[in-house]
Amino acid sequence: MTIFDQIVPELVRICREHATLMERVQPVIINRDLNGRVRFVLNERWERDEKAREELSAFAKVAKDALGPHAYPPEQAFIFESDEELKCLLSQSPVFPLPGHEGIFVIDRLPTEGDWGKIEPETDVPRVVFFSIKGGVGRSTALAASAWALAEEGRRVLMVDLDLESPGLSTSLLPEDRRPRYGITDWLVEELVDNEGAVFNDMVALSELSQNGEIYVVPAYGSDPGEYVAKLARVWMPKITEDGGHTAWSARLRSLLDALERRWKPDVVLIDSRSGIDEIAAACVTDLGAMLILLFALEGDQTWSDYQILFHYWKTRGAAEKIRERLRVVAAMVPSGPKGGGEYLGRLRERAWDLFCQELYDRLEPEVLPGEDLFSFDLVDESGPHYPWHVLWDDSFSAIQNLHGVLQEVDKARVQTTFGPLVDGLKTWCFNDENR
Amino acid sequence: MTREMSIKNADFPDAHERHWKDAELLLDKKRLANADHLYGLSAECGLKALMQAFGMQVTSFGHPEGKDKVHVERVWQRYESYRWGHPFGVRYPLPLKNYFSDWDINHRYSNRRAFSKERVESHRRGAIIVRRLVLRAKREGLL
Repeated sequence: MTIFDQIVPELVRICREHATLMERVQPVIINRDLNGRVRFVLNERWERDEKAREELSAFAKVAKDALGPHAYPPEQAFIFESDEELKCLLSQSPVFPLPGHEGIFVIDRLPTEGDWGKIEPETDVPRVVFFSIKGGVGRSTALAASAWALAEEGRRVLMVDLDLESPGLSTSLLPEDRRPRYGITDWLVEELVDNEGAVFNDMVALSELSQNGEIYVVPAYGSDPGEYVAKLARVWMPKITEDGGHTAWSARLRSLLDALERRWKPDVVLIDSRSGIDEIAAACVTDLGAMLILLFALEGDQTWSDYQILFHYWKTRGAAEKIRERLRVVAAMVPSGPKGGGEYLGRLRERAWDLFCQELYDRLEPEVLPGEDLFSFDLVDESGPHYPWHVLWDDSFSAIQNLHGVLQEVDKARVQTTFGPLVDGLKTWCFNDENR
Repeated sequence: MTREMSIKNADFPDAHERHWKDAELLLDKKRLANADHLYGLSAECGLKALMQAFGMQVTSFGHPEGKDKVHVERVWQRYESYRWGHPFGVRYPLPLKNYFSDWDINHRYSNRRAFSKERVESHRRGAIIVRRLVLRAKREGLL
């Protein structure tokens, strides 16, 4: 019995066996619906062509035999659409070419609006996303410390907590009496009914932490979370426009960030993403125009197995070339001490490099001439996205709830030791014009 | 389950499509009055196709019953009841504005000069909104 992972390989096979027909009726769009069932979308002129209909019907029977429960019965296997509709379909994502077949594309219908394969262009104000596959790697702590370090140099930093399902960044940097009344979740819910004006001016608070610069914090929820679970259930909804169109969750979030930047004019925006591979994380990593995406990693098989899923997805969807230049691995919670840290970092760097070589770097071929513009790096090349910036493990920073107090008491040298490579990398990336 | 091809049996998706195509042909020929009727019928059949996918009960001939036996100007509201009862319903919203609030099946008796271009264009926009939902439902596997 055919299973989900066999759909594409089987389609490759049967389309190859019916290459003449496929070529004649191109473009062919293979529509994989929400239930994982496949239909073929063709130009409506073939609906009226009797001879073509016979051949297509025979093809549909072959598809049903090959795909089993993942195909429709032959009489329901086709959707016929106009030229205009086909063009519109192909410009949407997620869409990827069927491997080995020109003119045949696969569209995946997903229950969620987020899409890992669609990469938004960078914005003017540098946005940096802090991402991890797993929680508990010190991502939010590193973000808070980075914001503090950047602000200590006189920068105006805007911190946005998009880890809506597991928020906490704001509590680390704002004492209770300084938290704003509202948060991101409130804005996303109110914006659905065009009421975002009621919350916009009271969802940002200035942290007192920095003496030299400014840290503006936009929390997931405000001083009173209210009916947070009920609000959270709605934040991913698209907004329906008067003509029946809809604005996706990620586009709504982008418009919020644009508005926050216009209002607060930060030098840099640091975004705490949700961990894992899901629609919210998808929006943070790909749809917010981030110039830098920090991939937090602990050394271990699970980490690389999970990142391999993500990288492979980008590669097969043709998004790898757009996203890879914005990535950087961050080695999290690195054991301190030259022996412990050195060995650990060495292993992590090698595993990261292996993965990047496998999925994201251009393959080096013997016949490639010197000077060719390839995106590829040696293991020890610090400029490569695989080469980790690291964050040391330090007990003092282990409890994020206490970070506000900790940063006030801990000396700058200790922060530099623990987070230095990460912060230095951030500064160079965000404020060096060559990187933008 | 395939239904026998009898004229008694309802086939909402097909009816939605044929009413739409003929409405477009009529509009192109400036046959405003009859185009207007068909935009309304197309939208009605499209919404009922979706309602059936969302769980609307029908007779053995596939026809709606009771409160669902209404035309487009009231189906626009009835649709919401079914949409919210289905897990995928949230993906198929209609705008608040009912584009067919001024449409009536009894307009089939009216003088052709009573149908302005603006009226027909407005109903066409409403029919397009429904058409997009039906297309989405076909692509996502709901229909």
